Amino acid sequence: MATAADGRLQGARSANTSSFSRARSSPSAVLPSPPNPGVKLGPNGATFVSSGIPDLDTILGGGFLLGSLVMVMEDADAPHHLLLLRNFMSQGVVHRQPVLFASPLRDPRAFLGTLPSPVSSSKEHRQRDTLVDHNQQDQEKGLRIAWQYKKYFGDQQSSQNHNRDVKQEFSNDFDLRKTLERQHVQYIESMSIQDIPHLTILRDRCSNFLSGLPRSDGGNLSAGRIAIQSLCAPQCGYAEMDWDLVAFIRFLRSIIRSSNVVAVVTFPTSFLLPAFLKRWQHLADTLLSVRAIPDEDKDMAKLLTGYQDMLGLLHVHKVAQNNSQVPTVLEASTFSLKLQKRRSLVLERLNQAPVEASSGTSYSTSGTCSGPSKGSSLDF
Amino acid sequence: MAESISRSLRDGCLEGEHAPALTIEDSLACPLGSHVFDHFLANLASQIADGTSQARGLVLVALNRSPSFYIDLLRRKGVDASLVDKWVRILDCYSDPLDWKDRIPPLMNVQKPSTRENVSFFRDVRDINKLLSSVLDLGKGFVGQGKTRFAVAVDLVSNLLRHTSLPSVAGLLNNLRSNDQISCIFWLIHSDLHEPRVSTALAYVSTVVASVQPIMQLTDEHRSRRDFLWLEKNSCKAKFYVRLKRRNGRVKLLAEELHMDQVGVKFAAVTSENSFVNKSLLPKVQFNLQLSDQERVDRAKVVLPYEHQGNGEAIQIYDGRRSLSDDQKDPHLVQPSTFSVMTDAQATSGNGEIHYIRDSDDEQPDSDEDPDDDLNI
Repeated sequence: MATAADGRLQGARSANTSSFSRARSSPSAVLPSPPNPGVKLGPNGATFVSSGIPDLDTILGGGFLLGSLVMVMEDADAPHHLLLLRNFMSQGVVHRQPVLFASPLRDPRAFLGTLPSPVSSSKEHRQRDTLVDHNQQDQEKGLRIAWQYKKYFGDQQSSQNHNRDVKQEFSNDFDLRKTLERQHVQYIESMSIQDIPHLTILRDRCSNFLSGLPRSDGGNLSAGRIAIQSLCAPQCGYAEMDWDLVAFIRFLRSIIRSSNVVAVVTFPTSFLLPAFLKRWQHLADTLLSVRAIPDEDKDMAKLLTGYQDMLGLLHVHKVAQNNSQVPTVLEASTFSLKLQKRRSLVLERLNQAPVEASSGTSYSTSGTCSGPSKGSSLDF
Repeated sequence: MAESISRSLRDGCLEGEHAPALTIEDSLACPLGSHVFDHFLANLASQIADGTSQARGLVLVALNRSPSFYIDLLRRKGVDASLVDKWVRILDCYSDPLDWKDRIPPLMNVQKPSTRENVSFFRDVRDINKLLSSVLDLGKGFVGQGKTRFAVAVDLVSNLLRHTSLPSVAGLLNNLRSNDQISCIFWLIHSDLHEPRVSTALAYVSTVVASVQPIMQLTDEHRSRRDFLWLEKNSCKAKFYVRLKRRNGRVKLLAEELHMDQVGVKFAAVTSENSFVNKSLLPKVQFNLQLSDQERVDRAKVVLPYEHQGNGEAIQIYDGRRSLSDDQKDPHLVQPSTFSVMTDAQATSGNGEIHYIRDSDDEQPDSDEDPDDDLNI
């Protein structure tokens, strides 16, 4: 199982790394497991943490950069930003990273009760991966077990893999139907931002959170996560203090930049004045937006394949590039959010449905792979 | 579509969910919003009286019209008067919202307003927390503490916004929505009285946004000519656009027409134009190659100039000089060099045509498929 993950990571990294990438070879080789699987080192001194959605990590070139500010523009009509936040926080819980959650709900802990738990079965991972993974095939050949015993051995292997999973995987698939148990979410700090009259309270809370993080020493990298939901929601007391909000975001960005924390802030765009919306967009290091799709829209059903399964759209506007002059150029910037097997979130490129003319020319833009195409540059 | 809104108000909310919230907005160009509000109010009240709705009672926050107006309205619409007394409570923020009567020395022959038992006075509209607790108390007062829920209607949020700030009003509506005892909530606002961010804030808080738009758009020439036709049309007819947020995270856009008559408001399906699709919701797909429906149909109809049309008929030499309809007199006007499919199609008024002039009549069929065969080097 770790091989599949490594294979994917290898693919992602070889897209934009120099020649000095550490090759993760077959699982049989005795390698010391990285001190903290939740944090991955990338080129140019960048460290990544996973966003909780493996597809999004691949799209962004490794994950969320530590020290960056990720802003998600919400759509007033759909709650998809909550999906992103949930996966982000669950990933932090799985990797035992400290999480601070601020939300305009009266009772943020109620939201914490909806965090998804990681998918436990590793066989699903293997089936899901459509990229050819040679290591794994060799492994399967090497087993040479009679077919009727394979099912017993398979279980044992999957449980072995499961243990290795929990320790070694950088990003997990989350099952949105199952929630994390209470004891895991206990340690998430949460606060409600609805009734606070001005932002100094939130500001102080963030500073305290950062100062309370363990320092990262030597080989042991630690990371922290801040999740702020609907920062300028209309029901918050400070919602009309536009300049204060901009000052807060600038503050947040500056304290995070020199620390090992990644912050995800979602905000409703419709409520901001256009000039301030532009300012917020410029202040973000990574800018994503989620959009709702119209229901039962025949035009859209004809335009896009897989329209029935789509939850919404995710658009990547900007990708963080600290310490680097090389921008990340994405092949595609709009993705559709889908639930695979009704439980885990996948992002797919939008495929245009073939035109209905009799000549049958199909203008589908992505490759013809049947599984979710992750936009990896290994697609031929 | 109005039916679906009434149904969703009637069904209320599921366990663990916030209550459905409806925003009705109108503007000066088409001021039928109050009538739409009355329509939904009367529907919900009759459903409560019948017992078919999830809400067991209704609390009405009356800011714009006097409570007696509403009681008369409900009576006119056929809701039983005793049930009105039992299941409807009106919070009167209309008579004295800012508590002036106490400060003015009382006049001599002042008539005490007749107090009804289901109308309670509210004197301090500026205090949003007090308003919230009064609404909740009124509601709890007649449905009790348990699992039963009640509905809330706010007559004019624009009046509330006169006295308090937008975040506090949005907070009030949000708190009401998320309260366990509220089944559904709806309100009316005049959108042109406020900045655009007010409408977007309320749309953010609500699950259904119904906007009343004028049937005929107001243009400058209307204003200058004082077009009475426009006024007349817009005062009794309007377009009704609904934006529903569904549970699966998608948006549903609906359009209807509404007419005013003696009784009230009537909804009808859209008669004239096509349904309104919000183009901004379509994503920007790469290589925007979408063809409109008409273009697709035309493209399918184009007869390609192959000798074999592929439909089993005898090989017919398709000669552009003899056009498909024999009436055409002069096909030589057409440029023989252009063989393009789509650009021509669009140039010739949307019909797909390909004009192909053969080189000569005594060529063999299929011989034009490779003109290089002629070369004898």
